[in-house]
Amino acid sequence: MQSRLIDDSSIPVKVILLSGFLVIGLFVFFPMYWLLISALRPASMLFTRDVSLLPRGLTLDNFRTVVSDPRIGRYLRNSLVVSVTTSAVTTVICAYAGYSFSKYRYRGRKSLMFLVMTSQMFPFAVLLLTIYTMMRSLGLLDRYIALVLSFVTFTLPVGTWTLKSFFDHIPDSLIESAKIDGAPRLMILHRIILPLTIPGMMTVAVYGFVWSWNDLLYSLTLITSPDKRTLAAGLLMTYMGEFQQNWGNMMAASIWVSLPVMVGFILLQRTFVRGLTAGAEKG
Amino acid sequence: MPKNAPGGRGDSSALSDAHFGLILALPAVLVFTLIVLYPFLNSLAMSLFSRSLLRPAQEFIGLRNFQRILRDPNFFGVLRSTAIFVAATTGLSFIVGFSWALLLNQGYRGSEVIRGITLFAWIIPGTAIAFLWMWMMHGQYGVFNAVLRSLGVTDQNITWLGSPAFAMMAVVLARSWQVTPWYMMLLLGGLQGVSHDQVEAARIDGAGNVRVLFNIVFPGMRKVVALTVLIGVIGSLQHFDIIWVMTQGGPARATATFAVEVYRRAFQDYDLGRAAAVGVIWAAILSVFVVLNLRVRAEQE
Repeated sequence: MQSRLIDDSSIPVKVILLSGFLVIGLFVFFPMYWLLISALRPASMLFTRDVSLLPRGLTLDNFRTVVSDPRIGRYLRNSLVVSVTTSAVTTVICAYAGYSFSKYRYRGRKSLMFLVMTSQMFPFAVLLLTIYTMMRSLGLLDRYIALVLSFVTFTLPVGTWTLKSFFDHIPDSLIESAKIDGAPRLMILHRIILPLTIPGMMTVAVYGFVWSWNDLLYSLTLITSPDKRTLAAGLLMTYMGEFQQNWGNMMAASIWVSLPVMVGFILLQRTFVRGLTAGAEKG
Repeated sequence: MPKNAPGGRGDSSALSDAHFGLILALPAVLVFTLIVLYPFLNSLAMSLFSRSLLRPAQEFIGLRNFQRILRDPNFFGVLRSTAIFVAATTGLSFIVGFSWALLLNQGYRGSEVIRGITLFAWIIPGTAIAFLWMWMMHGQYGVFNAVLRSLGVTDQNITWLGSPAFAMMAVVLARSWQVTPWYMMLLLGGLQGVSHDQVEAARIDGAGNVRVLFNIVFPGMRKVVALTVLIGVIGSLQHFDIIWVMTQGGPARATATFAVEVYRRAFQDYDLGRAAAVGVIWAAILSVFVVLNLRVRAEQE
């Protein structure tokens, strides 16, 4: 077995490490615990000065209210439409771009890569000033295509870079031999290359999904009618507009709308983390 | 000279490989032009016009938007809030994320599970995170006040989001909680790249933990740290969700960062011209970090 980076054979070091685990663990995990506990508490236990830290008197009432709330159901459906579309479109676009950057050499390639890589580095709110007026004059305001186009663009850098690094690992000889057999280039990409990078494409798909699922700024602005709202903006409008906030419901709703992303994340954690770290470290 | 791409000979298609490659990249380039390049240039130009969101008419007024902003005392409040928000969130999440990465890198039993659960905070929607922290810092029923009271730190409830200094603390904590997992993940990747042989050799020479950290680990991670911090700064300079939900930039603009200020001026005051002018200054500041980030990256290639 490899030795540990920090030598923990002395007592003082053990104490420091343990207190590190406790303090940071408290910071990282207590809010999660509190989210769950508050979502499971009846109003009588939430709105009191005698706050109990222990999980007592739990109930599913808040979840029942939230799950049967037609507004939340609608936001979920709307978000699903936007997120699935974004996810599909961004995966295709990033796969083509990543393959192009990885396997082809042409003049301007480096500059294009550089440009695409900067898509997340322009101030989003400044872009929105023009995107809003542009979508308005194109008649696309309050249409999901405005959101999908924006989210696809903002997920380009991580998506393209993740897939490029997957393509980089595929030997050129594989493509060469398919070519000698006479396969057209597009068919080589679709039938031979893409199936080899499915983990990478799943990563990008999840990333695109999560980005659109979580966005607030663009969905608050580009979607204007209440029944078309997606999750983040919908939750904000629903709960912050109320005279008195129902925190139990808000905590339950927060968990409820996070579930789809969490499930996807748990299923794909390994490839997801690997892909994103590769993408973030390099591009 | 371009490297000979796969194929070239033996391809019957009339399209050269270079053109085929370019066409594959075209959709990405198109959406980039439509959603980033054109909007960015157009928004910069907007700053030179008097223009309302509600009417299509616009009038060229040169630098007058900038003159007005620089004379507005609130604008320096925005500069200050942004600086505090970005510095504090980056500092806090870096220190916590790095320590957490060091601890989880030790390979104790259960580390994998802890790492997995840690990452949850990073995928929960920002709006939900804002709700959670508002609730924990609730003036009357919040768990923060309850714990502070029972520890005897205070006997009165603090209205966290009602006072400028505390509101800033609240948004910094919430945002740091959101991004700490991300810092942890990248820094853990960096730690795993630290040469074990070097560490072993140093140990044999009698180096203690402090010397191993300062002489081998930190120097070996310089690039990863630089990139992580730069991307983190860019992310926080861009951040909108948590602040908007928790405080809308208040109270009294105490938490109004650039993102919040541009949004408010454009979509609540309907003043596109001045929103764009604030945006230009914001973009200039952001570009410093973007250029640094790209340079570190170029070195790495």
